[in-house]
Amino acid sequence: MDNSIDMKKAQNKLQVGPSPHIRTRRTTKSIMIEMLIALVPPMIAAVYFFGWGVFIQLVVASGVAVLSEYVFQKMTHRKVTISDCSALVTGTLLGLSFPVTVPLWVVTVTSIFAIVVVKQWNAGLGNGGIGRNYLNPAVTARVCAKIFFTPFFTDWILPTGFLGGPYGGVDAVSSSTPLEFIGHGAQSVSNQVPALRELFLGANLGGNIGETSKLAILVGMLYLIFRRIISPKIPLLFIGSTVLVMCFWGSFDLEFMLTHALTGTLFFGATYMATDYSSGALTPGGKTVFAIGGGVLTALLRIVFDYPGGLGIAIIIMNICAPFIDQKLMPRIYGHKKRPEVKFDRQSPNQL
Amino acid sequence: MEFSFMYKEGGAHPDEQKGFTDSKPIVEASVPKIMVYPIAMHIGAPADPIVEVGDQVKVGQMVAKEGGFVSAHVYSSVSGEVVAIEKRPQAGGGEVDSVIVKNDYAYTRAEPIVKPGHSSEMTNKKIIDTIRKAGIVGMGGATFPAAVKLAPPEEAKIDTIILNGAECEPYSTSDHRVMFEYTDEVIKGIDIVSQLYPDLKNIYIGIEDNKKDVKKALEKATADNKKVTVQTLKAMYPQGSEKNLIKSLTGREVQPGELPADVHVILLNVSSARAVYHACELGEPLLERVISVSGTPIRNPQNLKVRIGTPIESVIDDCEGFSEIPGKVLSGGPMMGRAVGDLSVPISKGMTAVSVLTRQEAQIDEPEDCIMCAECLHVCPVSLQPILISEAFERGDIEKAEKLGAMDCIECGNCSFICPSKIPLLDNIRGAKAAIQAKQEG
Repeated sequence: MDNSIDMKKAQNKLQVGPSPHIRTRRTTKSIMIEMLIALVPPMIAAVYFFGWGVFIQLVVASGVAVLSEYVFQKMTHRKVTISDCSALVTGTLLGLSFPVTVPLWVVTVTSIFAIVVVKQWNAGLGNGGIGRNYLNPAVTARVCAKIFFTPFFTDWILPTGFLGGPYGGVDAVSSSTPLEFIGHGAQSVSNQVPALRELFLGANLGGNIGETSKLAILVGMLYLIFRRIISPKIPLLFIGSTVLVMCFWGSFDLEFMLTHALTGTLFFGATYMATDYSSGALTPGGKTVFAIGGGVLTALLRIVFDYPGGLGIAIIIMNICAPFIDQKLMPRIYGHKKRPEVKFDRQSPNQL
Repeated sequence: MEFSFMYKEGGAHPDEQKGFTDSKPIVEASVPKIMVYPIAMHIGAPADPIVEVGDQVKVGQMVAKEGGFVSAHVYSSVSGEVVAIEKRPQAGGGEVDSVIVKNDYAYTRAEPIVKPGHSSEMTNKKIIDTIRKAGIVGMGGATFPAAVKLAPPEEAKIDTIILNGAECEPYSTSDHRVMFEYTDEVIKGIDIVSQLYPDLKNIYIGIEDNKKDVKKALEKATADNKKVTVQTLKAMYPQGSEKNLIKSLTGREVQPGELPADVHVILLNVSSARAVYHACELGEPLLERVISVSGTPIRNPQNLKVRIGTPIESVIDDCEGFSEIPGKVLSGGPMMGRAVGDLSVPISKGMTAVSVLTRQEAQIDEPEDCIMCAECLHVCPVSLQPILISEAFERGDIEKAEKLGAMDCIECGNCSFICPSKIPLLDNIRGAKAAIQAKQEG
């Protein structure tokens, strides 16, 4: 054949190596980019309800996150890994988890804290870095921000429209979050709570900019599930168990139950925070327990404590428990009668 | 409705790549001048050459005799002159003693190994002897001598035969075409094997649900045999692994250190069943097999009926050669196959396919830090935690790797394939296995 490739020439260029010889196209970076894509619907909702000002908040949060990872890794002479986009995801999640009234310096400090203290330093629990942090950076930093900086953003403003918002020059209307009316041990829905439809769409709802529209979050959640980035069982079991506990607490009051499902950070946290690889459980059984535990704790914290923001604390508690859960729920190996009995640890081989 | 998009645990879905060849009829491969017969195309002791340089051999004449109980005879698949007995490169890597025969293209046939046409009257011992004589091995790639496998101790009480037609490796379509085109031969092969087991209750033919045409053909051919069930399985890798298939079809699990016979099951590859028919009914030793030659760099991918001993370069020529410089040429598929560095390597008894990858497909990126996505746990067919074994090995903690079940790994390659951080998980697990074995041997 005229245009055939010479067999000897082909043979000389052959590669050899152990099986498997192919790899999935998915990479760490592509997973992070898919996370960002899944965050686009809540971002659109945030802009729609709170105005263009949210962009500044998001840019500051994600920019500071990426920059602080870069600076930290340079200063500690580690490999710079900002190109994997994981810091960008953490920063974006943080940006979405503040109300639009938050001062930008609070966002900045929280972002640095998330990356440097929680992710890279692993809150002092061991070696940090991607895949190694025991605590969820965005959640932990956000909970700390709430504890230390609450006076700076107590008032949750209601959305004022597409081009309005605090940076649009229109007077902001301050309000409480709906959760404050059904938390604090309440067992039924107060008439100050917006209608379920509004809670679902996020219309006329105060709150952190990313979490008000459950519809937008649902779109993001479905994207992540269909793209197989997250296991569907985590968000479903998480939300499901909160709802179930509320169902019993509210004596099977459907409206009370649904209101709980649709208020606060539950949807946002169950979709984007509880599904974090690094701080979640590793084993299939562990993931189930993690999700149910997180959901139940969220409900209990809302009921028992005078504290509506229970989800963040619930996730942190489950983050701390995750390695112990995994230890107990290592999968039974094919053909074996018992689970492997060996200490579960997630210490990196090259950092010891 | 099945939610196949959902997380499926215990398997992966590499691109099937079967479209290159799955609808192409099997064609006869050309026979080159020089044929190469390695004395070790099976697991166990290598065979001993029984011919000398200068000898004339016939088609179906033994050139190497089994070297022990777990071993297999090697036959010449052409007639001609033995021109050398020397070390030649082999698909498994390294070199192995091989009998080199110069083809005279006369195809003079040797005596059949048994009188043809009497398989139904054979005693069990005769059947096993004939299978042994024919040099049949597990032709799905395992290459374990069939005569040993098919004759477990009587107390094993075999109640189930599984014909493995899952063919879960990407690119491979040889079993698919064999089941479709040689349906009767395969079924007759199973009939012969089923004579061996008085306690036999079920014969399962396990095929993946991407082979609809085969299911029909098999069901038609087995309509009057009540014991046979043609069972479609979800297309998933490694659906065709021994342990996986036994679990899928019978619900039984083979314990560590046990064989399928210990759970009363005999597994047989499609091509091996056909070879049993050829041996017992036609008196032919194992001389040929069907392989698929496929991949983007192959100009005209095909299913070929090849005489064992034909060098790979000859079958690639039959497929009109390469259309681009390939990255890897594989004996088998891309998940468990072996990379071949020399195209003079012969087609051996257990070679199901020659799969060729482009340089881009064969590209493997540098590993990054693990992100704990847990994908390797999801895809492991034996429920290991590959990343933990890999990390224990990298730390030098062999004891821990052992406790985590490193020895239970079936080396299917799913973990390395699925890892987004491109960590060489299977390489590390293999390393751990080698270290554990070394430790056990003292």
